[in-house]
Amino acid sequence: MENGFRSYHPFVQFFYYICVGTLAFYFKHPLFLGTACLLMILVNVSHDRGKAVRQWIPALLVMSTLIIVLNPFLVSRGTNILFYFRGKQVTLEATIYGITMALTIVIILLLFISFNLILNGNRFLYIFARILPRTAFLTMLSIRFVPLLKKRLQEISAVQRIRGLSITEGSIRNRAKTGQLRTQILLTWSLDESMQTADSMKARGYGIGKKNPYIPYRLKKHDWGWMIALLALFSICIAGGALGYGKMIIYPKLGTLHFYPLDWVLFYAMLLLHSFPLIVEGREQLRWIFSK
Amino acid sequence: MKNLSFHYLEAMEPALNNISITIKEGDFTVICGPSGCGKTTLLSLLKKEIAPAGELEGTLTYLGKALSEWDDRTLIEEIGFVFQDPDNQIIMDDVMQEMVFGMENLGYSNLEMRKRVAELVHFFGMEGLLKAKPSELSGGQKQLLNLLSVLLLKPKVLLLDEPTSQLDPVAAKNLILMLERLNKEMGMTTLLVEHRLEELFAIADHVIVMDKGFVRYEGESRDIIEAIFQNNDERAIPYVPSISQLYMKKAQYLEKTSIPLTVKECRSWIRTVSPLMSTEQKAANDKNESILSLQEVYFQYTKKTPYILKNLALEVKQGEFYTIVGGNGSGKSTLLKACIGNIKPQRGRVLFREKETSKLKGKALYNNFAYLPQNPKTYFIHDTIDKEMQEVVEQKKIDNGEEKIVEMLCTFEIEHIRHQHPYDCSGGEMQKAALACMLLGSPTILFIDEPTKGLDPLSKQHFARLLKQLHQKGLTIVMVTHDIEFAAKYAERCAMMFDGAIMAEGTPTELFQGNYFYTTSVNRATSGSGLTGTLTLEEALASWPNHVPI
Repeated sequence: MENGFRSYHPFVQFFYYICVGTLAFYFKHPLFLGTACLLMILVNVSHDRGKAVRQWIPALLVMSTLIIVLNPFLVSRGTNILFYFRGKQVTLEATIYGITMALTIVIILLLFISFNLILNGNRFLYIFARILPRTAFLTMLSIRFVPLLKKRLQEISAVQRIRGLSITEGSIRNRAKTGQLRTQILLTWSLDESMQTADSMKARGYGIGKKNPYIPYRLKKHDWGWMIALLALFSICIAGGALGYGKMIIYPKLGTLHFYPLDWVLFYAMLLLHSFPLIVEGREQLRWIFSK
Repeated sequence: MKNLSFHYLEAMEPALNNISITIKEGDFTVICGPSGCGKTTLLSLLKKEIAPAGELEGTLTYLGKALSEWDDRTLIEEIGFVFQDPDNQIIMDDVMQEMVFGMENLGYSNLEMRKRVAELVHFFGMEGLLKAKPSELSGGQKQLLNLLSVLLLKPKVLLLDEPTSQLDPVAAKNLILMLERLNKEMGMTTLLVEHRLEELFAIADHVIVMDKGFVRYEGESRDIIEAIFQNNDERAIPYVPSISQLYMKKAQYLEKTSIPLTVKECRSWIRTVSPLMSTEQKAANDKNESILSLQEVYFQYTKKTPYILKNLALEVKQGEFYTIVGGNGSGKSTLLKACIGNIKPQRGRVLFREKETSKLKGKALYNNFAYLPQNPKTYFIHDTIDKEMQEVVEQKKIDNGEEKIVEMLCTFEIEHIRHQHPYDCSGGEMQKAALACMLLGSPTILFIDEPTKGLDPLSKQHFARLLKQLHQKGLTIVMVTHDIEFAAKYAERCAMMFDGAIMAEGTPTELFQGNYFYTTSVNRATSGSGLTGTLTLEEALASWPNHVPI
């Protein structure tokens, strides 16, 4: 059985990702975004001790530096001029804007890394089976075929190599020819075999009537609880944003970083929303420690 | 079912001829017969959704009503069908999804689905596999999954088309035990088409032997065995379990009720016969220089997975018939791949006449090696067998190719399929055709992977005879199989593989004697009696005393 964040209903998880993604584009405030980015890193660490994130760190760093450095050189809007570069003004506003943009993109990427870990395979299909049932079914079928075809291709290669039809030696023309022959065998063979798959589908009543999907996940009490909490926090953030809070004016003249009282409310709402997986995992950890 | 005849479209001969069978509710029925005798056709006619296209005469009734008058839904629910190949019938990429596929299609409520899944998964003991991917399961597990997903629809009749033909003996036994349990505990009407019959005769209430679209014998197991022997029917005798054959051929007073069907029954019968016999050992032959040798081979597929081959050493001598047996996952097929140089071991060497096999290329490879894969479909690249053979002749520049082709076709008795598409032939024919193509180039060494999978006893005999001929002509043969009966009968030297290494090696007699599973049923029946040491029916017959005092 899965623990912590993973044990929640896919809808709750999906909704969490939608919220985080939307807010990343909605808030244009370096402090808000910086905090969100930090939280997303922590969320990723809580999934698998940061294994997946670690592979992405170089790419994320390179990309964000590029945006931060390039933006002020390409865009010269703004009033606070830092210095001139080849006769073009480099402004503070553009630099700050670059930072916010980089943060937004990093958050979105971190979100997808986490998404990949949590909503993989079945959970993903479960969500999309509601929206696009046929596509989801087709995806399932094709995913099933990948290992099958791979296995078959290996077998074919073994046999054909001994026959003297190799793709690793000989002229390019010959190699291409054998490669093509192998694919041809793979296709004929697989088509032949899939006739049985079709029979098997028919034998189990595919297409006889309306399909009623088996739902392996049930919305439990704590799912509802978090769903409502997330919804409330999300509405606060959106409403606050609509009133102009949680956003910093950048162009044409840089606004202030100062937080008004309502900014703080918004900030805490966002903090709570983003920490949802952390709270869940943390609570579970504490429970383990105290139950010993 | 009454007076049933069935013509395939475009076929001259009817596939089924005037067949009348009645199957009682709760019966365990076994249908057997050589490939192409129409048993699969018969079985699929009973399942309306997959019934082959053709002309049907006669009537098929289910519970007193013609099959065509039932509505689709009821038939899908009440008649379940399990296919031959464990892989092809799996549709979804997830065990759980696969199980509920049928129920989803029929639109059951979630409560009903959950209830059924919970109950049956427990009965099958498959809780641990729910999250697995089908590609990670073994053949036996796949077939159990297929059975389970059919059973979730609560069928009243279960039809199975050679469900064990792709499985190793232990997995096959598991499946059959499960079927027996379902039949005994739930009264499931079961109709099974099968080649591997050693155990099935004991379980079946009703046996049907078919040939060329006719029902030859029908009735209880013992009645049928008696009838077959009374008619001395050469085509049907191979289907009788070898222990019963022993009894029919050697018992002094034949009594129908005491024909042994299980090892237990046979042992108690043998005990009444005085032990007088001595068994002679097959002389192992020491000869010739080594042609293929593996030295301390280690192999793993990826860095993180465990070693498949561990410290494996093996030596095959020129002109030998070497067999490797072992369960699923013991690394047999990997070993074969290492032998033909398709994978390169991390440590150790695989040498063919002092040269590493993975480095052999071009002519040195295809002129010496021949490899018959488990599935001969992977071999063919042209649309007729004739073209296939012409290509080999051209590639290897064989003189008077046409003569050679005809000669090969004759030895293998496959002249009639020369101009057919390989995929249109039966499994046995396809195998022979692939072998014929390979042998055109007169290779030095032949590797065979599980040749007996899905072959009926008759074709198996044919195939074995061919191998024996080739072997006598001096061809070195290395075969991987899980068919112990087959290995015991024909191999010169056997090796048993377990956990990535060759655990034991010797003549079949040395190796298989006294084992529990990895031995033949004749050996199980005779061990501890005067016939200790006999592995095959032929040996038992030969060493049987002429005068049996009682």
